[in-house]
Amino acid sequence: MRKILSLVLALAMLISVVSFAAAETATDLPRNETLYFGGQQWGPSNGFNALSSNMNNAMVIASNPRGSRTLMFETLYMYNSLDGKLYPLLADGDYQWNEDLTQMTVKIKEAAKWSDGTPVTADDVAATWNTSVMIANNTFSGYSPYIAKVEAVDGAVVITTTVTAEGKPTNPLQVLNFLSATYILQKDWLATLAARNDNDPAKMLEDPAEDIVYSGPYHGYFANNQLVAFVRDDNYWGASDTMWGTLPAPKYIGHAIYSDNDAALVAFTAGQIDVNQQFIANVQKLWEEQDLPIATYMSEEPYNICTTMPTAWYNMEIPVLQVKEVRKAIAMAVDYDQIIENAMTNQCPSFAAVPRSVMNPTDGEQALYDHDAVKDLQWIGKDVEGAKALLDAAGIVDTDGDGYREYNGEKITLNACCPNGWTDWQAAMEIVAAAGQAIGLDITTNYPEWSIYQTVFTKASQTEYDIFMYSPAGAEPAAPWSRVRSFMSSDFLGVENNWSGNYGHYKNDRIDEIIAAIPLTTDPETIKALYTEATKIYLDEVPSFSLMYRPDYFHAVNESVWTGFPEYNDGDNIPPADCTDGYGIAALYKLELIK
Amino acid sequence: MKSTLRNILHSPRFMVGFVIFMTMVLTVLIYPYFVPRNPLLSLGKGFLPPGTYFSVYDANNAPTFRVELPEADTNRLQNDLPQSDRKLMLDFLKAKGVDTSGLSSGNDKIADLLEAWKANYDEADVKSSKYEGFTTQAKRRALAKLDKKLNDFLSNASMKVIRGEGEDLQEKNVSGTEYTRVDQLANSVSLPLGTDNFGRDTLTELVQATGVSLLIGLIAGTVATLLGLIVGLLAGYVGGLVDDILMFVANIFTVIPGFVLLILIYYSVGQEARGIITCAMVIGLTSWVWTARSVRSQVISLRNRDHVNLSKLSGHSLFRIVTTDILPYIASYVVMAFILQVSSGILAEAQLSLLGLGPKTTEVPTLGLMMNWAKLFGAYTSSNAWWAYFPVILVIALTSFSLNLMNTGLDQVFNPTLRE
Repeated sequence: MRKILSLVLALAMLISVVSFAAAETATDLPRNETLYFGGQQWGPSNGFNALSSNMNNAMVIASNPRGSRTLMFETLYMYNSLDGKLYPLLADGDYQWNEDLTQMTVKIKEAAKWSDGTPVTADDVAATWNTSVMIANNTFSGYSPYIAKVEAVDGAVVITTTVTAEGKPTNPLQVLNFLSATYILQKDWLATLAARNDNDPAKMLEDPAEDIVYSGPYHGYFANNQLVAFVRDDNYWGASDTMWGTLPAPKYIGHAIYSDNDAALVAFTAGQIDVNQQFIANVQKLWEEQDLPIATYMSEEPYNICTTMPTAWYNMEIPVLQVKEVRKAIAMAVDYDQIIENAMTNQCPSFAAVPRSVMNPTDGEQALYDHDAVKDLQWIGKDVEGAKALLDAAGIVDTDGDGYREYNGEKITLNACCPNGWTDWQAAMEIVAAAGQAIGLDITTNYPEWSIYQTVFTKASQTEYDIFMYSPAGAEPAAPWSRVRSFMSSDFLGVENNWSGNYGHYKNDRIDEIIAAIPLTTDPETIKALYTEATKIYLDEVPSFSLMYRPDYFHAVNESVWTGFPEYNDGDNIPPADCTDGYGIAALYKLELIK
Repeated sequence: MKSTLRNILHSPRFMVGFVIFMTMVLTVLIYPYFVPRNPLLSLGKGFLPPGTYFSVYDANNAPTFRVELPEADTNRLQNDLPQSDRKLMLDFLKAKGVDTSGLSSGNDKIADLLEAWKANYDEADVKSSKYEGFTTQAKRRALAKLDKKLNDFLSNASMKVIRGEGEDLQEKNVSGTEYTRVDQLANSVSLPLGTDNFGRDTLTELVQATGVSLLIGLIAGTVATLLGLIVGLLAGYVGGLVDDILMFVANIFTVIPGFVLLILIYYSVGQEARGIITCAMVIGLTSWVWTARSVRSQVISLRNRDHVNLSKLSGHSLFRIVTTDILPYIASYVVMAFILQVSSGILAEAQLSLLGLGPKTTEVPTLGLMMNWAKLFGAYTSSNAWWAYFPVILVIALTSFSLNLMNTGLDQVFNPTLRE
């Protein structure tokens, strides 16, 4: 009896193993037709509802003004961080503002079609906006302060902005962000969604939307907890001559789900990932020493286009950090070259090459302020003596001889925080802490898990983290105005769950006036003067200080299977946006197989 | 006593382990007198490979001597244009379809090779023509880099050093036969194990880290052994309800996997409070169970021996009976358990720190923290820096190897069934 039982059990196991193996091969993608990504998707996805922000389906739902990922859902325009321009996708030609910037007209491409064959119309755009308003999703909360309504008039989209008491538009720049960030969905499908969820906003946001109608070149093929895969729609409208003129090269898009960065890196070096969005320490060694067919956008340092600057924010609720001299002294003492060489392994320009301001290091933004006017305020770093002198002059000295300075009779003890596992940031915080120790402030590091970290620094008020890291706005149509705002605007004070900026809760009335004035100013000289003043205030008050320049995306490719990826100065003007985001998706149409 | 000691000293296993262990302890104690540098001081920038570094600036200022090495030119050529570069040049020429029959990578043919390269290489052409094997950005860029190097190399037949500022410039020719003595240079630093990702001298850091890890191991081992001993003695000797309660607690600890418990406690302590002492205490407090259980079972077997009963009849106190009549019989076992506890304490710290749960980096280096940073900075993947992690692994392995060797050595001496 026992023998029979064990035989049956063994047989059952064998069968299950075989059937799993069979299932596994059924989902294998042909390598020569698949472009594999890395560093985007972590954990299994929840569905295809592009209205929602918690689908965790990063390859197709990643809405961002710096360029939404348009593999499945498409936006009106695609942002190109290289030249700061918007390129039409579903839209036809450039957008048109009216005289006083209160109304914008966008035409829709005639060729644009939904996956069910029906044309994309202005009505769909209006319906997308109206549904967003109804369910109050991120599109609504992000843009409703600036956009009053979106309508279809004579076959074109007309966006009317909200206006101030004087009748001026609240913020035309945010409307540009809307154009590049928002996925357009089909009116009929939105009606179906509303109907099956009884118009309940919460239910509509949770709907996995497996039947969603899309306009992009790819759609879901299969997804499990090891791999998400998408397959090309060969009837994609973009193959028409009014758009790309051809289909994207890879038939399949795949993204294996790795346990962590190390596993992804190993897969990348082995050629199992073609396009990788991941910080790789000393990336140049992969081709210089290990002779792998790996490349970054630029062949020399800094290897990437840096568009943002991870920043250390001072918590203004900590009394000692309300002293301007303390803020400035820490910032002056930090060895930024060390951060750049260690944390970024030289994958960004130094502060000597691009002096600090509120601008990212791209030429377009650098031209927007008067460099000579702020020269005296910019600091290079590692100025321990200068920082000590500044503290001494401010009367913050060590009175009890323990090697640490006191403030109001108490030893100054601060923590420097960033999420655990964010390697380059952790290294940066170590160096900030070392700078504090060097000038007699007891700064130590603290690395909470991201799940905790994100709930603390976004609070309307917190005293847990004294110095902590997060990035301000990067490259987007509304930059650098949006960055000035995210550095210092009091719009974010008292906001719970604040992901938009001013995490240290700084307040300055003059900067608020500047932030209000810039979007409504059209004269370039006045704009430059305003940005210069904003930079002056930022560098003088030091509400936060940038630690390094950094790309919005890390873009590294392994050319074992595919070639023809965008390169710096190759004449195609395609940004290194992982071949998927904003105008970066143009790269998919240039790819070729290596043999 | 004397004969036991002699037996121990004659046990080859014990002695080998002891010598390894003591060498490490002595190194930890003596090294700082020779290299008094702060181990957390950042010297370089990022991973520097092992070697002796001297200042190029100083080398240009140092007194020079004339030395004529016959093989100097060949060496220079080998160094400036290594075989790998020559192979790349040949491969490219072949891929382009150039007749390479007269070319080779030998030193005597280098001029021909350079000429062929100059005649055939063109960056734009490589990109547009897509020669087989040279279509990837990586390969094309390698060629462009080589070409740039060759141009510099060809134009650098003579070398001049210009010194001074503004108008007052001094020019000095540097010939290939000028040498300087390394010990005449003002600044040079020897980094036998290179530097880690923070640019810290890995050897100095490793020595201090070994010391810290040994300390953690010792504290953890002491805490675990003491606790285990006390619980085991009480439970075994007193018995009854005390035994039941203590063993109930011990059993709870046994069924929860120790390492998981360690991670949970450590995580909840928070990084703020994680010093080396806390680290050692937590490890000690989670690893006393096995010592307690084995001590208890030994005590139970000793409890009813005649001499213990005699002691009881004489009215000796519990404390005295335990310390004079029971403890000496299990002392050898306790010492061996202690050695193993030290070893596992060191390993536990390394494991915890590797997971990013270690003590704070700015304060002290530990073996686990060194591994953690090496891992975070891709020392064994993209950064290709073996010196940042391999010596650490070796030290961890040697420590636990030597301690385990000492333990088996002692076992052979004390355990009658193993005695030869």
